[in-house]
Amino acid sequence: MERPGGFDETMALMTELRRRNVLKVAFVYVVAAALLYWLAVVLQTQLEMPWWASRFIGIVLLVGLPVALIFAWVYEFTPGGLRKAIEVDQTQSIVFKTGQKLNAALAVLVVLGAVAMVADRLLPELAVVPPPPVPERVFEKPSGNKVPAEIRSFTLDNGLKIIVWPDHDIPNVAMYNFVRAGGRNEYPGITGLAHFFEHMMFNGTSRREPGEFDRIMEAAGGFNNAYTSNDVTVYTDWFARSALKTIFDLESDRLSNLAFVPDVVESERGVVTSERHSSIDNDNSGRLYEQMMATTYIAHPYQFPIIGWPSDIASWTQDDLQRFYKTYYAPNNYTMVFAGDVTPDEIYTLADKYFAGIPRQKPPAPVRTVEPEQQGVRRLTIEAPAQTPLLHMAFHAGSASDPVTLPLELLLNILVDGDSSRLHRLLVEEQQIAVSVDGFQSEGFDPGVAYFYLTLPPDGDVDAAEGAVMRVLADVAANGVTEAELAKARNIMLANYWRDIATIDGKASALGNYQVFNGSYEKLFNLPGTLEAISHDALKAAAARVFRPSNVTVGVLLPVEESAE
Amino acid sequence: MTARTTLILVLLCVAGRLSAAGVTLPAAERIVLDNGTVLILNEKRDVPMVGIQAMLRGGAVTDPDGKSGLSSLYASLLEKGAGDRDAAAFAEAVAAVGGNLSAGAALESISISGDFLARDAGLMVELLADMLRRPKLDRAELDKLKRRSINLLLAAKDGDPRNLVPVYANAFLFGDHPYGSPTDGSEASLATITARDIARYHEQQVGGDRLVIAVSGYFDIAAMRERLTAAFGDWRPASAELPDLAAPERVAGNRVLLVNKPGATQTYFWIGNIGVAFDYPERAALDLANTVFGGRFTSLLNTALRVESGLTYSASSALRRPSKPGSVAISSYTQTDATVEAIDMALDVLDRFRADGVPADAAASARNYLLGRFPTQLETATQLAAQFATLELYGLGRDYIDAYGDAVAAVTPESVKLVINAVYPARDDLVFVLLGDAEAIRDTIVRYGSVTELSITEPRFLPQE
Repeated sequence: MERPGGFDETMALMTELRRRNVLKVAFVYVVAAALLYWLAVVLQTQLEMPWWASRFIGIVLLVGLPVALIFAWVYEFTPGGLRKAIEVDQTQSIVFKTGQKLNAALAVLVVLGAVAMVADRLLPELAVVPPPPVPERVFEKPSGNKVPAEIRSFTLDNGLKIIVWPDHDIPNVAMYNFVRAGGRNEYPGITGLAHFFEHMMFNGTSRREPGEFDRIMEAAGGFNNAYTSNDVTVYTDWFARSALKTIFDLESDRLSNLAFVPDVVESERGVVTSERHSSIDNDNSGRLYEQMMATTYIAHPYQFPIIGWPSDIASWTQDDLQRFYKTYYAPNNYTMVFAGDVTPDEIYTLADKYFAGIPRQKPPAPVRTVEPEQQGVRRLTIEAPAQTPLLHMAFHAGSASDPVTLPLELLLNILVDGDSSRLHRLLVEEQQIAVSVDGFQSEGFDPGVAYFYLTLPPDGDVDAAEGAVMRVLADVAANGVTEAELAKARNIMLANYWRDIATIDGKASALGNYQVFNGSYEKLFNLPGTLEAISHDALKAAAARVFRPSNVTVGVLLPVEESAE
Repeated sequence: MTARTTLILVLLCVAGRLSAAGVTLPAAERIVLDNGTVLILNEKRDVPMVGIQAMLRGGAVTDPDGKSGLSSLYASLLEKGAGDRDAAAFAEAVAAVGGNLSAGAALESISISGDFLARDAGLMVELLADMLRRPKLDRAELDKLKRRSINLLLAAKDGDPRNLVPVYANAFLFGDHPYGSPTDGSEASLATITARDIARYHEQQVGGDRLVIAVSGYFDIAAMRERLTAAFGDWRPASAELPDLAAPERVAGNRVLLVNKPGATQTYFWIGNIGVAFDYPERAALDLANTVFGGRFTSLLNTALRVESGLTYSASSALRRPSKPGSVAISSYTQTDATVEAIDMALDVLDRFRADGVPADAAASARNYLLGRFPTQLETATQLAAQFATLELYGLGRDYIDAYGDAVAAVTPESVKLVINAVYPARDDLVFVLLGDAEAIRDTIVRYGSVTELSITEPRFLPQE
């Protein structure tokens, strides 16, 4: 047999393989291994074994295949026990009987496999193990009698606060995770880092490749988003109920194991640069807003653009990222809200399992800088290619928990909400000196702004528009609003309250915002009553405090002729 | 059975449990009034609000030549005074009770949608009936609205370009077909619209035979039925017939529209062709295919252009599915100097998608993704009202919603493959619309086809012929 194997040799080898039952062993092994692997996957879920358990078993089973085959080739069962096949006298061999036994085993395994598959499809409820009951004492007692009875909250020993609002209308869940890290936690050199971090939180951990977070979540029937503000970074997951455990696993993983792969950091700089181009550089209103905030605040970090100055986006370092992660991504700096098709018990059980082991960190340093009182009107101008001039006006106002904030919110409804609002009616409908007028109030940890933004017609007069706005605001500060206007503003806010909590998404968002910015989610449910109690005088006082000429920053964007090329 | 297929089967069994299509449309009462108006009423008492959606068949496709934006102006004018109230009083009546009620035109309908606190349901119906049957259509309000609409278009051209690219793209792709007409008009077309056009539109394109009203929320069905019947049961029909639209023809070959925005730091691109209509029979397979291609964060397009290369903030694909075939398109944007790199990459992804189809694991993931998202579209009273009205408008049964989960679950790799090759155009048959700094990219983009150029300051969305 010195020649290289020809057809005959191959046939002889096949015959011998068959005689020694190697092929049958292979079949039996593969079917048995598949069954075992399936069992491992099911048991992993049931017994809450670590994520790698089934993968480990799978690898062992794969490695075992060649071992079993070699074993089958080398050894043979004889009435006298296990012997090396080449030592067995061919006439005494009982390989045929062994083969029959293997056939029988294969048949049994196939039947078992079929039964398992049918059971898995038809009896999915068997797979759901009810969570062990959680003692009622772990839940904090809500304060206030307006809170819906089904809401529960609890705080783990490491400081992680979780609020649960069960709502079984649709088989879905909304999760909001508020991280107390935003633009206000930045300084020159790392502006935009909180926002960049929001991106990096999707880009891989020591356990998971970059991109796996999204792939796993989407494959489980979930999707996600996130946003960064001056005050917080908020991560949102919306998912089918069945993905609950996956979400906990993913969220706890990125809280404890985030990786900063250098290539990925570089690529993500490009993504953020593109985002900056679209929302600021190529959008005149975005350009003006950025300059406005940089002018309105001279000391407090609210002056930084949330997306960051371009030079900072280009140059922050691995160290900056590591430090930011350790400081702000800590259980005691998180507030999580779950609304939807869940029970408080199962959320507690999962939170305990996935988050309780993550250590608390030293609380972040407080933001010390207080914006000094503005001492007179500030002005800025941008000249840019445009067809329509823009006028923005910002007044220093209160923080989210400042008593001025709710009356000011009602005032803004009266001034700019809808076609019946004072400023819209006067500037857009009657005088037609503006194409649109809108406004908002920023409600954060530190004093924010009441902000108005107007688009003017191509030949619009920015001075006339500014004068008209200031006169309306002065009138409100001097004379207040009418009873009808106050009633209208109350109704708008009441209806918006109901609109907000009509969805699981709105429920999670509202609870989280109240908890983080007003100190207690329970206060949300006082809103209808509080609205009724706010007086006409409170609105007038709010206007008098905020709408002062020395408290305003005025920015205009003026069209320039394009260079004729 | 090989080991591999066994393992895959086992894995599929496990994965199969994750899907949750567990929602159906709630029960609703459907009433057809003598004049053809259809009412659909659904009680949903979770929050004390009531949502309404009124839809009139017609919409932008009925705009006469050169007067695109007429439906849209007409719809906006409905809010500017109706019944006994002038524009200011009408706005005041809605806002005073914290309500919403706004009208707008879409490609094939005019919609009025709103929601009110439950205690104001009577007022809501009164205001809606005034808008539809007794609008003032005041000339001074029209002139004001027209000027303002033109100025808002100018402002949009100064704003984020992402909002306008689809308008240029439709105009360039559909050409003379009504689907190419900008729904909100162009500066040029809005300027030609007169009070007579509006009066004629009201008489010809609006009436009880075109109307569907869906109400969902906290109200009493019998009382609401009575109110709506009294308000609309004797409304006259529209005098014109609905237009009989031809199916748009798919564009053969490549052509490029370049919209010049001097100084833009990015190029915004849209690459597509004619796609399918709303009644495309393989809807579930197509949704699954598009989810994988460009419909979610981990899609092939977003993975290549954003996640792996950092060329953009977002790359996606979308289908627009009106009553006749609409568009199928890729859209994204990138820094000006990466324009060709990003577009070539998008085209490579398209080639691969057409050649390889959707692998089994991506299909399973997309299926769960679609099923997991689906229920969130049927959560609120306003969403339900919009769903009911839209189904009625297109003559679709409840199965369009109720059987969707099963249809998605039943999609096979073979059906996806067929759908991809039927719906997604090959590289050689593509329309390109690029918005950016023409000076910087004009010379490099000729490789994509014959280029038509237009300045963003032109008062229209296509060059004048």
